[in-house]
Amino acid sequence: MSTFTTTVRHGEDDVVIVELHGYLDAHTASEFERELRTIIQAGALRIIVDFSDLEYISSAGLGVFMVFIEDVRRDRGDILLASMRENVFSVFDLLGFQVLFTITTTVDQAQQEFRSRQ
Amino acid sequence: MTTSSNHLAPLRILPRTENLERIRAYVGSAIVSTFLTDGERNGIVLAVDEAVANIVTHAAALCPTTEIELRIVVSDHDIAIEIRDQSAAFDLRDVDQPDMAAYFREMRPGGLGIALIRRVMDQIDYVPASADIPFNRLILRKHHRSAS
Repeated sequence: MSTFTTTVRHGEDDVVIVELHGYLDAHTASEFERELRTIIQAGALRIIVDFSDLEYISSAGLGVFMVFIEDVRRDRGDILLASMRENVFSVFDLLGFQVLFTITTTVDQAQQEFRSRQ
Repeated sequence: MTTSSNHLAPLRILPRTENLERIRAYVGSAIVSTFLTDGERNGIVLAVDEAVANIVTHAAALCPTTEIELRIVVSDHDIAIEIRDQSAAFDLRDVDQPDMAAYFREMRPGGLGIALIRRVMDQIDYVPASADIPFNRLILRKHHRSAS
């Protein structure tokens, strides 16, 4: 069975960093959606998703970001995607998600991106 | 011209999303020693995952105890993955290609799986169940570049 977990930590300037671990597919996407909803309902608006420990993503995982991005941006926040492995990035790339999402090489770069928007 | 092909033992799973990991492992091991690049192999695993997830989503409620079967044939000129199921027929070729610009403007959360399958695979064939063959057959092909 696919395993998927998240770890949440708080960075500088009210940034919330969500680390993804394991496999994000049609089986585990609903769990991620619940967790991201909880994080956003708790007031997080500047969110960095750290993909460095994510082994795999399918369209169900991409769909989770689509669920929340509009509401977060309406409240002047954003979800930045950082530190993807090549196989994970290629899924976003195949569908052209760079048009909608800022994807950075590292979490530090994503934090700098948020700082530059202040 | 002489051609060879490798028929692997089929994999049968119940239509549950928890079985997607088995699907990915089966496909990944079947195509590990082929002409494909790592990126192409990852793409095929993803495409099959998406196709089976789509069937599971539609089949689980209707036929929760009827297995989905995967068959893979690796030949000199292509890789063919056949997915057999006995749920309601659904030909993903009938689904319009999404306009990704419009998709992002409207921020729709679903409908990406079929787009991924189409971007990754070279050929998609579908044969719905009939009186003679009681299962739907979705066949995804990736051609050898030098053979296409």
